[in-house]
Order: sequence, then structure tokens, then C-alpha cells
Amino acid sequence: MQTVLSPHLQEATQALIDNLLASEPFLNYPQARRRLNQDAESRTLLEHLSHSQASLRQKQANGGVGQAEVDSLRLLQQRAQRDPVIMDYAKSQQEAINFLREINNEISELLGINFASAANHATC
Amino acid sequence: MENLASDNIEIAPVEVVKRAAHDFAAALADSAQFKALDQAADRLRLDQAAQQAMAAYQEKQISWRALMMLNALSAEQKAELEELRAAFMNRPVGEEYFQAQTGFVTLCQSLGDALSDSFGLNFAASCGVSCCG
Repeated sequence: MQTVLSPHLQEATQALIDNLLASEPFLNYPQARRRLNQDAESRTLLEHLSHSQASLRQKQANGGVGQAEVDSLRLLQQRAQRDPVIMDYAKSQQEAINFLREINNEISELLGINFASAANHATC
Repeated sequence: MENLASDNIEIAPVEVVKRAAHDFAAALADSAQFKALDQAADRLRLDQAAQQAMAAYQEKQISWRALMMLNALSAEQKAELEELRAAFMNRPVGEEYFQAQTGFVTLCQSLGDALSDSFGLNFAASCGVSCCG
């Protein structure tokens, strides 16, 4: 269902978006993401790492993780930690997330309700 | 929007972004949905039986959270939860509070989506909110 916003709320939302996008964390994050997307080697390494982590989690849940798989994941993690493009991306993403949390705290304190919790779509 | 020029890139200082966040919160607090929830919460505070019914329902939801996440509640547990929910909803203020909360959550979800779409990060998830809030 489409929610109709009052002009005042629409304007305030757009101003918040514009200011967030012009903040340092949100100028850095898309740049780092672009650099990652343009670097095939780093991107492949990160995809490989995500896939290995997901696969290991799945196997852990089923109780069947081998030492070789753990070693292989560690190796991938070490390679990713040495990759400046990946590390720059991870750092900028974390900074953007930290800033969003700070902004959510500001909004929530004023409302007396956790705004991010109310905005969450996921349910148990 | 206020900006500071730095190295040919316009960067919004933290305090300016926070001011925009305050304006946003004030506009949200001025919405019909927030006012309705605020009023319903006031009425709920005056109805002790409704408060107890809500507490009983929430307590059960919390203690069965893991099972609910796994969709593993038994038929008896589902029935008990539904009974507790109905006990709250059957109170006039319970229904009013539920409707007001739904309206406010729908509005917040729409605003959260607008924020998430703009910068490519899920707002709620980034703020550490999971399926259980």
C-alpha cells in the first residue's frame, strides 16, 4: 500500500536524504563501492569469500565442517585483508553504517521510539 | 541544504546532517499517524487490564521468539498466543492501539524504504535491527 506523505514530511525526508548523501561517509562509500566493482580481481575474491562463509555457516548448522574448509576460509580472509580495494570498501561501508546508527539515535531520541525498528519490514 | 566546500566537493558537516535528522523527526512527530499512536498509548496507560493483556502477549512472544523465527510453534502454542492476542485486541483501547501502531509502522517503513533506496544500504538492517526488532 502506498503511504501518502504530507508535504512537510516529504520535504524533511528529502532534506535528510540530500544531507546524508552529501556527508563524508556517504561520499566515500559509493566511491569505494565503484572502485571495488571496477576491480575484477578484488570483486571475485570478495564473492569467493562470501560464498565460502555462507557455505561454512550452512555446514556448521548441519554439524559437518572439515578442517580443510576452515583453513581455506582463513586463507581467503587473509587475502581479503591484504587487498586495499576490499579493505577500503569494508571500512567505508562500516563508517556509513556507523553514521546511519548515529542519525537513527538522533531521530529516535526525539520521537521516543526506535525509528529503525518501526521502519523494519522483517518479521519472525 | 547547507554545505561546506572542501576540495571542490560539497560535504555536509555532521551537525548539519543531525539538524536535518531533527527536522525529519519533528515532521514525523507532527504526522497524523504518530499523533494517533501517542494518543492510543496515553489511553493504554489508563487501562490497567489492557496493559496486563498486552504484557502477557508480549512476554509470550519474547519467550517463544526462537521458535517463531523457525516457524516451529506447535498448534497449542499458536492457539495460546492467538488467545493472548485476542484478549488484548478485545479491549477497545487494544484495538485502537494496534491500529495506530500499524499505521505508524507503515509510515515508518515507507520512509525507511525511501532512505534505503537513496543510498543503497538497508536502513533498518544497518541500524542493527533484526526480524525481532
